[in-house]
Amino acid sequence: MEANKAPQGEAKAGVPDSELLRLIFESATDFGIFTMDPNGITTSWNTGATRLFGFEDSDIIGQSADVIFPPEEGGAEAAAEERRLALAHGRAEDERWQMRKDGTRLWASGLLMPLANASSGFVKIVRDRTRQHAAEQQLHETEELFRVLATNIPQLVFRGKTDGSRTWGSPQWSVFTGLVFEDSLDFRWLDAVHPDDRDRTRQAWAEAAASRQYYCEHRFRRAADGEYRWHQTRAVPLGEPTPETEWVGTSTDIHTLRSLQDRQKVILAELQHRTRNLLAVVQSIARQTVRSSASLGEFKEEYERRLRALGRVQGLLARNDHHSIELRELVDMELHAHGVGDTNGKISVQGPPVLLSASAAQVLALAFHELATNAVKYGALRRPVGKLSVTWQTDDAGDDQIACIEKREAANEIREGPKRKGYGSELIERALPYQLGARTRLELGRHGVHCEIVIPTKRNGRSNG
Amino acid sequence: MDNAAMLGGRRLLVVEDDYLVAMDLADELTDHGAEVVGPAGSVKEALALVAATPAIDAAVLDINLRDEKVYPVAEVLRTRGIPFVFTTGYDAWLVPEAYAGVRRLAKPVDIRALVQSIAG
Repeated sequence: MEANKAPQGEAKAGVPDSELLRLIFESATDFGIFTMDPNGITTSWNTGATRLFGFEDSDIIGQSADVIFPPEEGGAEAAAEERRLALAHGRAEDERWQMRKDGTRLWASGLLMPLANASSGFVKIVRDRTRQHAAEQQLHETEELFRVLATNIPQLVFRGKTDGSRTWGSPQWSVFTGLVFEDSLDFRWLDAVHPDDRDRTRQAWAEAAASRQYYCEHRFRRAADGEYRWHQTRAVPLGEPTPETEWVGTSTDIHTLRSLQDRQKVILAELQHRTRNLLAVVQSIARQTVRSSASLGEFKEEYERRLRALGRVQGLLARNDHHSIELRELVDMELHAHGVGDTNGKISVQGPPVLLSASAAQVLALAFHELATNAVKYGALRRPVGKLSVTWQTDDAGDDQIACIEKREAANEIREGPKRKGYGSELIERALPYQLGARTRLELGRHGVHCEIVIPTKRNGRSNG
Repeated sequence: MDNAAMLGGRRLLVVEDDYLVAMDLADELTDHGAEVVGPAGSVKEALALVAATPAIDAAVLDINLRDEKVYPVAEVLRTRGIPFVFTTGYDAWLVPEAYAGVRRLAKPVDIRALVQSIAG
């Protein structure tokens, strides 16, 4: 190696010892140091340069040093440009990709300077910064990822300090609250918090450091319409919380969730209310059945039948979310429960779609149940020749919705029609008028049972007991 | 004291919109010697009964009638000095301040507790 050439140009004033410079030149293995003539032909090449680029002295001395410029960096042209700049400005410094002998790339920080006597050429000092560059790239990518994440998730993202003061808010924060970046810094972001929630919000920050996390549910004002919407805010410190520790947090809109939770409470109360009312009905049926039963055996049979009917209509209501149900569904359900269907022309069920309220459905189901039971026990459904028809229509004259239910049984087929008026009669003649404002008519005759029920629409509304 | 004597001759207004529950309540109260006024299934019917009946001793009021609350009836009863109890299906039902002190019985109503609160 022609070590004596390098120190000439590189020598700083007051360091005359060329031996010292030679030692530095050779021992600075972390640096690639080499010299070249004005045209870029390598004139010296230190151990560091060999380590960095893989070229031995014998490979490169007397050859162009431009080979370390990869094509994508401009190759020899870029090398020439670097020399031109160094001549023009006394130095040319940059960071760029350079190429090793084996073709692999390294990220190099390079300084090119003309030698004191410019006609002698240049010295170039190169440091390998590939690892740092990769780390920087990764950091950059991580920051970019954070930025993309923070600015694209629906949550409002913020950065701040341990006391809750803020140093950054995501664009979504500004869009939601209408507070621009500057208006959100320090504690100015509290302007977006509902006045009633501000104390709680700050209190939670006062306690955050001890638990190493921040949690608060509070309302933020939405700039678009002025509505205060519930948010859940969480934040964590980046490291042990000291006053200056950075915290990163998000605020999530939980307004809809909270509304649903409130709704759930209402539904739960409603469920309890229905259950209690239903128990009251069960209690009533039990006592009414006791009153009309001659024996415990009779009570058991009747009571169980009625409870089953009540259970059926509850099931039907549950399937319809306790809203209105179709009259046809109710009729079919009761007939089916009594082992008869709309078959053989023996039974006819006809009518347009008619919706019943929960209240109407419950009483009607119990009434139909009594009628059907009687028909099976004593009437049309007992003998093959009997006929039963259930029909209804909607009165288009007024706002009354008319349900007309007829039951006809073939003459002389009645074995022993119930002489005294029973539970079915009470339901039809008294319960329906009382509860639904219905007009009813029930005739128990030799030719069968004729029953008419007229339910005014305005009373067929939702029940709330 | 037998059942019939407990409410002997008392005239009781029953307001309850569910027929089965109303009749049950009326029957039980009658068994305990009461004379039942009603039952009424709506505020309108209840107010008409109250206006038409000169001497009502007490009332049993279901808070939630079909589309309305029973409070207008309670108000009239209060101005007439007639004591009343509420029945309700809600355990934690919030009643207006004015009726916070009124006895509330959860459904299904314990008829003994009801009779005692009226008889007492």
